[in-house]
Amino acid sequence: MKIVNISLFVLFASLLISAPAWSAGGGGQDLNLGKVKVQLNNTASLQRGAKYFVNYCLSCHPAKHSRYKRVADDLNIREDLMIENLIFTGQKFGDLMTVAMKREDAKAWFLGVDPPDLSTHVRAIGSQAVYNFLMSFYVDETRPFGVNNLHLNNTAMPHVLADLQGLQRAEFHIAPDSHGVEHKKFDKFELIQPGKLSEKEYKQVVIDLVNFLAYLSEPAQLVRKKIGTGVLFFLALLGILAYFLKKNYWQDVH
Amino acid sequence: MSSQQSSGLMGWIDARFPLTKMMREHLSEYYAPKNFNFWYFFGSLALLVLVIQILSGIFLTMHYKPDAELAFASVEHIMRDVNWGWLIRYMHSTGASFFFIVVYLHMFRGLMYGSFKNPRELIWLFGMFIYVALMAEAFMGYLLPWGNMSYWGAQVIINLFNTVPFIGEGLSEWIRGDFVISDATLNRFFSLHVIAVPLALIGLIVGHILALHEVGSNNPDGVEIKKTKGADGIPLDGIPFHPYYTVKDILGAVVFLAFFAFVIFFMPEMNGYFLEHANFDPANPLNTPDHIAPIWYFTPFYTVLRAIPDPFLGFLMMALAIVVLFFLPWIDRNPIRSIRYRSALFKINLIIFAITFIILGYLGLKPVTDLFSQLALRFTEIYFLFFFILWAYSKPRSGGFWIGSFIVLLAGVTLYDVLMNSSETPEYIWYTWAIPAVYLFITLLLPKFTNLDAEKQVPERVTS
Repeated sequence: MKIVNISLFVLFASLLISAPAWSAGGGGQDLNLGKVKVQLNNTASLQRGAKYFVNYCLSCHPAKHSRYKRVADDLNIREDLMIENLIFTGQKFGDLMTVAMKREDAKAWFLGVDPPDLSTHVRAIGSQAVYNFLMSFYVDETRPFGVNNLHLNNTAMPHVLADLQGLQRAEFHIAPDSHGVEHKKFDKFELIQPGKLSEKEYKQVVIDLVNFLAYLSEPAQLVRKKIGTGVLFFLALLGILAYFLKKNYWQDVH
Repeated sequence: MSSQQSSGLMGWIDARFPLTKMMREHLSEYYAPKNFNFWYFFGSLALLVLVIQILSGIFLTMHYKPDAELAFASVEHIMRDVNWGWLIRYMHSTGASFFFIVVYLHMFRGLMYGSFKNPRELIWLFGMFIYVALMAEAFMGYLLPWGNMSYWGAQVIINLFNTVPFIGEGLSEWIRGDFVISDATLNRFFSLHVIAVPLALIGLIVGHILALHEVGSNNPDGVEIKKTKGADGIPLDGIPFHPYYTVKDILGAVVFLAFFAFVIFFMPEMNGYFLEHANFDPANPLNTPDHIAPIWYFTPFYTVLRAIPDPFLGFLMMALAIVVLFFLPWIDRNPIRSIRYRSALFKINLIIFAITFIILGYLGLKPVTDLFSQLALRFTEIYFLFFFILWAYSKPRSGGFWIGSFIVLLAGVTLYDVLMNSSETPEYIWYTWAIPAVYLFITLLLPKFTNLDAEKQVPERVTS
């Protein structure tokens, strides 16, 4: 009976707990741009990411739930260096990272789209999406800013990193799917106008940005696992004590 | 009182308040069966989660702003600027899911060991009211972060009331306090979430425990320990709750907290099922998320709702799926309480029910497809048929009863398919038809043709 009991529980509990895992996959087409692995312990990369972020993103995208001071503290950036090099808006060190641009202006410029707040939006879409997006701008003369994006078709965002990456052309072929409907399938990118950086250097810039944005979306990540390990260690010790306490009390129950 | 008259401070208090008396009645002289197994941890664990939710909730309320303009930012403020705010918030969000995990296992324990049967019907009813209050509490709490999934999830659920004939529109407007989900809705949900429902919950929990201590706990053998008492009037198979079960429950609590801490510190979003990804974007009435799924603990009932094409009928069936649980003590009337001594078919039926509940939950998380909506219908049918079978297994039945019920129920299922069931892929209807057919075959025909319905002798005393 005990075995039935335990196996029933394991079945019930494991199904409950694993339910999320069944549906974890899916979403988005595979662009074969490589999987990005967020490295939060790489402080140098986070610092570079912060630099790119304030230079290339923060003019339009706010990070209004995050404070400059918190970023400086978490990434080991000195206060004077932060104020001098990374705060362009004349804001104070303790201020939230908002943008000076009016929301109405932003909407008017970017085809009616208000650039999303990057302190939380990245957590909604995931780091891989940011990576795919920044890697897959290509020239498309039919779009208002002259570029389109493979990850987010007809994006309202211009290719702000074009001076670093250069411009690439996307090659497609037409192929029918299983229902016989013809679709444009992506083959590969071809660089038609080089930027300041090599392909490898540009990829590193994107990785730095992805790392920084992952950090920015949940700063507690820097400490949470470390604290969690300590908590689990404490609970393990407490569990051993609790086990022997229970055993001791129960020895007179027959 | 008794021979052990206390003196000093305790004596002073006891002369004015029944402190020692209450501690004896509910702890040191409350005799619980000595054979509680693993499944009996979940009652005390539910109480532990309640305390965690109340304490973390108090601190969240200090920093949260129930205002449509400020709510989302105030949650991010808690996550970033409040000392240990992220931990308090994750305790609360993870606690909500763990509350339901613990409560579902606690309820399943009741089903396994017949803990709802005479004389424990009221304990079960209190428990069911707690469960419904908990669902209301969780649903209203989920709106408060004012993320996009909070907004659209609440939109979908409140719109269910629109399906009520004649008064539907007015009813959902009355719930929202506005024509759409708005600041008014957020404000009233905050009020209900932090005070009204928790008050009701605590009252119901006190009732649940008082009723339990009045009749005494059931146990994995389903044997009434009060029937066999020693010369001192104490049940021979009973041990004082304190210290025996307090030390045992401490061990259970530590193991539970390890799982709890693991989720909080290492995977607080649980792949988007404890904290949904779309909820990290603020509520936006103009931007519907790609796929709106309720949070996981509601999805079995959500699937029942979606399985029926007619909206109001679907709403009623969803409500019935919960209401039917209230009547369990009057559905399963078999005098044998514990699964240990019930028939093999009872065990099979119960395992199928557990699997059905999980499959319904899974389907509720997924977008509707042809196949999935057929499966949703089939497992909804099994969900309800389970209760009929449970009732049928209450006493020995004639061969005619088994065959007659099989024919009538299968005809009912088939008639529904002929009259109301439609699918873009008609084969699915007939493939999935086999699911309730096989279920009815196993549960209704095997008792007639095999001896899998044989029950075992219940012992006089608890076994281990």
